[in-house]
This record gives sequence, C-alpha cells and structure tokens, in this order.
Amino acid sequence: MKADLLNNHEGKFALIRGEEFVGAYDSAQNAYTEGVKRFGCESFLVKRISEQEEVYRNQALALGLLHARL
Amino acid sequence: MAYFMPVFNFFHWSEKHGRTLNDTGALVSVEIGIPSALKQHLSEKGLPIPAAVSGFALVDTGASATAVDDSVFTSLGIPHFDEIATGTPHGQGNSKVYPANITFPGMNVTDMPMERVIGCQLRWKTHEDQEIIMLMGRDLLQYFLFVYNGPSSDVTLFY
Repeated sequence: MKADLLNNHEGKFALIRGEEFVGAYDSAQNAYTEGVKRFGCESFLVKRISEQEEVYRNQALALGLLHARL
Repeated sequence: MAYFMPVFNFFHWSEKHGRTLNDTGALVSVEIGIPSALKQHLSEKGLPIPAAVSGFALVDTGASATAVDDSVFTSLGIPHFDEIATGTPHGQGNSKVYPANITFPGMNVTDMPMERVIGCQLRWKTHEDQEIIMLMGRDLLQYFLFVYNGPSSDVTLFY
C-alpha cells in the first residue's frame, strides 16, 4: 500500500481504517475530521505519506534533564 | 525601514510568581481540550463533553513538537490516531500521536487546534505544586514571540 500512496499522494495525510485506505487529505486535521465523521470514537489511523518516517526529537526529555537537580 | 509585529495578547511571568526562572523554567498556564471534530461528534450523539485538563506548559525551544502527558488524553477520552518514533534513554521507542485543542487562559488564546501532539510520560510538579502537563515545542512557538530574560528572571510570551 505504501508504494501506491507514495506514487499518488505523497505529502498528504492518509486516513486508514484497519486495512482499508479511506482517502488522502491536505492536512491531518481534515483527515481526522473525516475519520471522526465516519468512525466516531473508534480507532483509525492518520499518517503523513512520506518516504521517511517522522522522528520526535527531544533530548532533554530523552535524557531526563527536564527537572534534573544537579 | 522598521518592522512592527502586531501584538494582541501577552503573558508576563516574573520571579514574584515563585522560584527563579533558572529553577523552574518558563511556565505558562494551559488547558488541553478535545478537538473540535470530536466535540461536535459527542454533541451530535448527546454524549457528555469532557472538561479541558488544566496545568502548566514548560516552554521548550529544544523540542521540535509539542508533547502532552499521556494521562491527559486518557482522561479526555481522545484516542490516538498515529504513532511516531521517539528517542529514549534506552534506545528508539514509539509514542502515540493525538489531536487536541490548546487554550492559554493568560493570553486569551482559546481552542487553538493542534493537529499532532506527542503523548509521553512527562507529568511532574514544581516546588510550588504547579503541575507540568505539556512541553511547548517549536510547532507552537512559531506563532509566538518569546522573550527570556535570564538576569532579571522573567519571561514574556506574546501572541
């Protein structure tokens, strides 16, 4: 599925429910709104369509330095 | 040529609010609420809309994205819609991604929609019993002017 999405919708946000691709949207908010309309509070996936996976970087949090006492 | 930034609201935090800035970091009062789409869905179904969770946000210019303690989303009943790779002291991990509406009561900023907020374990209390529930990352800070005055131990945040 990923290769198809990259070919046709790179940069957009995919709304996926189980194995089903519901659609591609310009923003995560639009995809989420459509997901809630269709599925309510049930689980669904909103994923940015890109070659590389996003990584969250926060060194202070990762190293436990947010409220360290030195 | 001079450039002026229109400033509508600001929040000023100084030493009189508690310990020195160096000790606590730059804190701002925050409320985390459910996203508008979910609010509308609950309203249409006649279901109760959970009240926003209040606490403090620590301004974190080192963070690319805003993070909120996982327990806040659990208490609000917001399901996650994605996961993201994160660095931890033990190697690579995964964090859940949620939507949320953010309110800053001190600046009259209400229900700011955040498309993607990282859920993680970060809740703690300062010596003044202020509960930190959010790290305010650069995805939010891009909309603010932030002045950190170390020598006089005060912070001003403009929106």
